[in-house]
Amino acid sequence: MVESSKKKTVTMMLFSAPFGSQYADHLCRVAERALDKGYAVEIFLYSDAVHAQMTEQNPKLFFPVGEAVKRLIEKGATIKSCEICSIARGYIKGELKDGKKDYSSTKVINGVNFCSIYGFVDMLSRADRVLSFGGS
Amino acid sequence: MPKLVIEISHSPFGHENAYAALFAAMAWSSMGNEVTVVLRGEGVHTARKGQVDPFANINLPSTEKQVNELLEVGGRVVADRQALQIRGIRAEDLIPGAEVLDPEEIRRVMMECGERFLSF
Repeated sequence: MVESSKKKTVTMMLFSAPFGSQYADHLCRVAERALDKGYAVEIFLYSDAVHAQMTEQNPKLFFPVGEAVKRLIEKGATIKSCEICSIARGYIKGELKDGKKDYSSTKVINGVNFCSIYGFVDMLSRADRVLSFGGS
Repeated sequence: MPKLVIEISHSPFGHENAYAALFAAMAWSSMGNEVTVVLRGEGVHTARKGQVDPFANINLPSTEKQVNELLEVGGRVVADRQALQIRGIRAEDLIPGAEVLDPEEIRRVMMECGERFLSF
């Protein structure tokens, strides 16, 4: 277990959608293990990986990514999703509403937040380790 | 200066990888950080010059434009010589400023600059 004063941050990027490949499964398993060992975990969902945030996923035969995402959030992981990727795929509108961007959605698991690519750059900047899943 | 290496191994247009990778590279670089984009395998097509307005023709962004913008702000783009040769792509077919390196030189770049590494 990592002592809290020495807590290191593992930042993970997921680039592939769940179920079409096992990248999301692997990320969730590694992330949960890192949390259990006392690391801070930050995850960025990029491109098709934003589908991992969808509510009511119901895979009959595959690893339950949606349930794993909920569990990671409960355990303290920070999960941020690419804003424009999520707008493009119909999860959020992202329009300005009362001076703030509208990220309300019934299609997104509670606790998943949104950010621009600059938010991802911030995550990379403060990372002690970076892991990349599903890009190649 | 914080360093990031981004590897692209998919060709542009058929997949979103190259576009998304360059988008992240540009954001990282614009914050005053150092970025090296490594083109391997099919990814070497990303730096081909003379792309004919992909946005107008097939509604996809031009990676030539993205590479040029990245080079302008000080980003580095390197292509695997072997991957180019296999595909019949000459150094002069690439966007000026993109470098051609041997696999061993690429390995060295990754070791020296890859304190953060993303694969696309």
